[in-house]
Amino acid sequence: MKRPLILALSLLILGALFFTYAAFNKKHTDVATANSQQEMSSYELFAEFDASETEATQKYAEQVITVSGLLLQRDLSNFQEPQIILEGNGDNGFIRCGFKEYSLQNAMDLTDGEHVKVKGLCKGFNDGGELDLLADRDVVLSNCILITLD
Amino acid sequence: MKHITTIVLATITLITLAFTQHNGGVYKTNTGNISFFSRTPIEDIAAENHKVKTAFSSVNGKLQFSVLIKDFEFEKALMQEHFNENYMESTKYPKATFNGIIEDINIVEVSKNGTYTSKVSGKLTIKNVTKEVSATATFSVKGDIVNAKAVFNVNPSDYNVKIPRAVINKISDNIKISIDADYTHQH
Repeated sequence: MKRPLILALSLLILGALFFTYAAFNKKHTDVATANSQQEMSSYELFAEFDASETEATQKYAEQVITVSGLLLQRDLSNFQEPQIILEGNGDNGFIRCGFKEYSLQNAMDLTDGEHVKVKGLCKGFNDGGELDLLADRDVVLSNCILITLD
Repeated sequence: MKHITTIVLATITLITLAFTQHNGGVYKTNTGNISFFSRTPIEDIAAENHKVKTAFSSVNGKLQFSVLIKDFEFEKALMQEHFNENYMESTKYPKATFNGIIEDINIVEVSKNGTYTSKVSGKLTIKNVTKEVSATATFSVKGDIVNAKAVFNVNPSDYNVKIPRAVINKISDNIKISIDADYTHQH
C-alpha cells in the first residue's frame, strides 16, 4: 500500500518541479512563428486606438498582429532597436514598429514611401496624453518582422 | 506710405518670429532609452525600453517623457508577465509620464558642442500616482544631436506597486532608473 503512495507522491513532485521549471524558463513570444491574431491596414489599427485606447489596448496588447501601410520613414536613430514609421491617420498619428538589432539590415533595405507589411507584437498607444511637447501619437509594435508583399 | 511699409515689415518680422519660436526650441526623440535595475542579494532584475517618447524646450526648459509600460523588455518572459500583470497592471495603467523642467536650461547651449549639467525636476506619474522627483542630468551636444543622461531611484511602494510577500525579498525598494536619449531639433 505504501509503495504506490510513494510512487504517486514522487510523480506529483516531479510534475510540480517540471511545471515550475517550464514556467520559469518560458520563452518570449516568437513573432516569426506565432500566428497573427489580426491582419489590418495601418489606418484601421490607428483608428481603433484613436476611438478608444482602453478598448483597443484590451483587444490588441500583447497580441501578434499583421499591419500593412505606407512607410513614411525609417528611424534608425537607436541602434538597439531600429524602427520604421507607418502612416496612421495622415496627420499626427503613426504606427511605430520596432525591430530587433539583427533586423537592422532589413530596415535599412526599405525605401521611404513604399508599401510594407509588418508582423509584430502590439504594445499599446503612446500618445503623450496632456504633455504638449509630445503631440505625435503612436501605436507601438515590437519584435517586428517584415512580410514580403505578394 | 512710409508708415504702411514699416507696419508691413513689422508684421512680417513678427509672423516670422512667431513661426521660429513655435518649434524653434523643441528637441525631440521617439527612440529614447529607459532601463531599470533592481538589485537584491537573491536576484537582479533589469528591463529596457527603446521607444521612449521625450522632448524638451531649449527656450523654457520644459522636459517631458511618455513611456509604454508593456514595452519594457525583460530577459525572462515570466518576469515580464508578472511585471505587467501583477505589479504594474499595465493594461489598466499603460503609460508612465514625466512632466518637468531643466532648471538650468540657460547654461545648456544646444548650438555649441560641449557637456552641460543641470538639475532636472518634475512630476513622475506611474499607475496614476504622481510624485515629485529630481535628478542631475548631463546634456552632451555634438553636432545636431543633444544627448541627455540621468539616473534616479524610485521606491515601488510610492507608486502603489504592490509586491506580494512571497517575492518581497527579490525586488528592491530602491529601483535604479537610467535614462539615455538622443534629441534632435524639430523643424
